[in-house]
Amino acid sequence: MISSLKKYYEIEKKRDTLFKTHIEKEELLKTIDFITINSNFMTLSQIACADWIEDEVFTLNYILTTDRRDKNLMIEVNIPRVDSKLPTLLNIFPQSEVMERDLHEMYGIDFIGNSTLYDFVLEDWKEIPPLRREFDTLEYVNKHFNFRIGREDNRDVKVEIKRRRAEAKRLKNANK
Amino acid sequence: MQEGFIDYQKVLENEEHAIKSTQSVIQKAIDWFRSKSMFVLAYGTGCGAIEMPPTFTSRYDIERIGVVGMATPRQADILIVSGYCSYKTLKRVIRSYEQMNEPKYVIALGSCTINGGMYWDSYNTIKRLEDYIPVDMFVNGCMPRPEAIIEGFVKLQSNIKNAKKEAGYIKYRKDNEFYKNNQKKIFGDKIEPSYEANFAGMNQ
Repeated sequence: MISSLKKYYEIEKKRDTLFKTHIEKEELLKTIDFITINSNFMTLSQIACADWIEDEVFTLNYILTTDRRDKNLMIEVNIPRVDSKLPTLLNIFPQSEVMERDLHEMYGIDFIGNSTLYDFVLEDWKEIPPLRREFDTLEYVNKHFNFRIGREDNRDVKVEIKRRRAEAKRLKNANK
Repeated sequence: MQEGFIDYQKVLENEEHAIKSTQSVIQKAIDWFRSKSMFVLAYGTGCGAIEMPPTFTSRYDIERIGVVGMATPRQADILIVSGYCSYKTLKRVIRSYEQMNEPKYVIALGSCTINGGMYWDSYNTIKRLEDYIPVDMFVNGCMPRPEAIIEGFVKLQSNIKNAKKEAGYIKYRKDNEFYKNNQKKIFGDKIEPSYEANFAGMNQ
């Protein structure tokens, strides 16, 4: 199965059950169509995304699975971080609707042809998408929330326990 | 006494739980009745909801002290916010709370409602619940065991009986501006769940 695909694509073996190939983003639809028809990798199990801010790219991994769920094939696509666009896979896999909607919300990637790219988990979110690495989570939290007083002293618990024990001992001796 | 069970009789005989209200006899009676029939909204917000089934069913059976589950906010007296509370949940919590009839009380479970807990640096989870709705009783722990939840209920009962503390719903009326301002800080002007926003993309 893999050997027949190796005629067309450079496939790297990661583990016994995991294979990987890298393609250009223009070939995405064509490749996935070809692989699903001509091999046993028949369904999409997930779309994973990594933000490589140093290289200015998003790396998306389309993970295809066999009908027995025993082998996975990762199809890696790099897209630029600015104005990131990809064609939707809705026509091949209907389940990609939710995955693409999630990626749109968390990374801001546009999937052309998917009409469900509106609010999903975050309602009325006005900032940049929160899983992009330029989003400073701590700064956002400090700006929007009040913390309860008492956490900032950050004392070592063991020292505090020792101090309390010594205090209790002193009181006990004083009572005698 | 077997381990894991609260000796409820002992708790009741404790001086702390005797009626010490300075109000009139009728008011005392009303407070007593009120403390003995607490209807809880069956609504779980976070992982803490997993401790509720054992609390309400035969193992701990909280119904023996007058706490019963209710299906809708309009029938309930008590709202339990059980664990972490995201923006999206908080909108629903506020809406449910505002629908409940007075007198109403809020019990907050878990360290997440107290100071954010393990979600202290999360962009999507609130840190202090009492900024947005008044809380009558905090039960700490991650997660609190059913015994702790029962103790929280018993303490709340004694608070209601003795009218010791100002109830949360009175605070919510008095300082409504404070709570609404805090809610606006994170939601903008859309405090209620905006159902139009969810369907905005449908027409395209």
